[in-house]
Amino acid sequence: MNDEHKIVQQVYAAKEDVQAADQLIGTYMPFIKAETAKFLKRPPIEGHDDELSIAMIAFHEAIGGYSRIRGAFLKYAAMLIRSRLIDYSRREQRHSRVISLDAPAGEEDTALGETLADEKDPYEERAARDATRAEIEELTRQMREFGVSLSDVADNCPKQQRTLDACRKALQYARENPELLDELLKTKKLPMGQLTAGSGVERKTLERHRKYMVALLLIYTNGYEIIRGHLKQVMKGVAAR
Amino acid sequence: MRYLVMECHPGYAVLLDEEGRFLKAANLQYQIGQTVYDPVLMKETPEKRRVMPWISGGIAAIAACFLLFFGVNYYQNYLQPYSSIYLAINPEVQMDLNRQGTVVELTGTNEDGDALLEGYNGKGKDKVTVADELIDRAIEMGFLSEGGQVSFSIDSPDEALFQEYGMELRAGVTEHLAGQIAVNLEIVNRKNGQGQENPENSSSPSTSQPPAESTFLPEPSQPETAPPASSSPADYDDTDYGPNNDGVTDYTPSASSAPPADTDYGPGSDGVTDYDDTDYGPNNDGVTDYTQPASSAPPADTNYSSGSNGVTDYTDGTTDYDPDNDDDSDDDSNYDDGDDDDDD
Repeated sequence: MNDEHKIVQQVYAAKEDVQAADQLIGTYMPFIKAETAKFLKRPPIEGHDDELSIAMIAFHEAIGGYSRIRGAFLKYAAMLIRSRLIDYSRREQRHSRVISLDAPAGEEDTALGETLADEKDPYEERAARDATRAEIEELTRQMREFGVSLSDVADNCPKQQRTLDACRKALQYARENPELLDELLKTKKLPMGQLTAGSGVERKTLERHRKYMVALLLIYTNGYEIIRGHLKQVMKGVAAR
Repeated sequence: MRYLVMECHPGYAVLLDEEGRFLKAANLQYQIGQTVYDPVLMKETPEKRRVMPWISGGIAAIAACFLLFFGVNYYQNYLQPYSSIYLAINPEVQMDLNRQGTVVELTGTNEDGDALLEGYNGKGKDKVTVADELIDRAIEMGFLSEGGQVSFSIDSPDEALFQEYGMELRAGVTEHLAGQIAVNLEIVNRKNGQGQENPENSSSPSTSQPPAESTFLPEPSQPETAPPASSSPADYDDTDYGPNNDGVTDYTPSASSAPPADTDYGPGSDGVTDYDDTDYGPNNDGVTDYTQPASSAPPADTNYSSGSNGVTDYTDGTTDYDPDNDDDSDDDSNYDDGDDDDDD
């Protein structure tokens, strides 16, 4: 009883705090593994079985979705893990006729994947990845100045296409008026009034997705070429409208 | 869709898709900066669900109300006994009917009745069908033979239903038995059979009897004996339904008064008084008006004698004078019969 109460408190703390959530997942890793093992009928191998990752994100989802009226947390988490694993296995069944690259090729010990010719230069790819990572880390650092983390943004991201379009519209307006971006950097505050007036998007919408707007606007301030390149769709979408 | 891995946590990774959405997904050994194509995205867990139980509870309640309503409706219409028909040959059988006139329960009310029902299932069949089949069985088992008597006692909450069922049964059974044997059909309103027989009985038989009369062979002279029966219910039923019941009930008040003939017109009830005055005085000038009613009462004396005058009128009313004519005219016809008899 007392123990249950503690975990409920932890879960509620983890809802607010990303670190606490990570910590909670770390603490309950054995539980997650046990649930995965029940599903796989064998112990999962960390870093190899995707099922374990699925179970972990299901646990994370359980933290987010839990409330006291849902009963015991661990039961809820176990249920969610099981259903997500089932979802995943159904999804994977579609690819069941595809041969794994890890499957042994012929008599030798080499994996099938190794027999294929590399399409891309792994070194170049790694360099690109490192550059991207540097950019992302810089963005993360800058966002921290605004008190925003990427996890927050992910939670705060618009779910509806319509809302997403509205946010893009505001972004478009900010890009056309770079002084807004400067102001954002200087004051560390969203120039909400001007954004609303200029773009015609409802203030409420922007307020609700404030963190997301911060991330989006920061990406379009300076640097972040690679991320922007990845996001080319965003602007294309607005231009099309 | 390409996804850029933005942040990695032990439990999940934050991905950025090409449309600018930040999403959480399972961290399948991702590294920051990596581009992935087929992530397992985290599903939304809506917390607003909390509203749902309330709404769904409401919907369930409404649905339950509907079910209850229709259930009760159905029960009342189809399952609940609404009226009963007691079939008596010698075996007595009680048929409980629902509002649709379909049999919901069959019980034998005496030993022969039980015997008659043995191995018979009439549930869900129409009352007339059941009656026909039961009569067939009765014939088969020797309970009913040529010239026998079949009595239907109908217990219904309202008069109209009694009328309707009486007609239906009479027509149905008569038709059914037409080619087989001739029996005596009797239909009684059970409720009134005990108490206030007269008015109820009279009305029903008068409407329903005519078609059935064809099967009735018994003498027509009985009606006269019937009137007194009004005082004693038991006798009344028998004679009433047999052959001449039509007039019987109605006659009770009038018939008794009618024979005195002379006084007849005085108490003669509604329109009669009028006729008296005009009729007898100028005899028949205005007769055309009287056609129906006048024919009934006064004719006995005056009409026949001075038939020439009134003859034209009687053409219409002629049917009334005949013993069989009863069909249409209710009271009038009755009077006629009575009068005729007197004359004879």
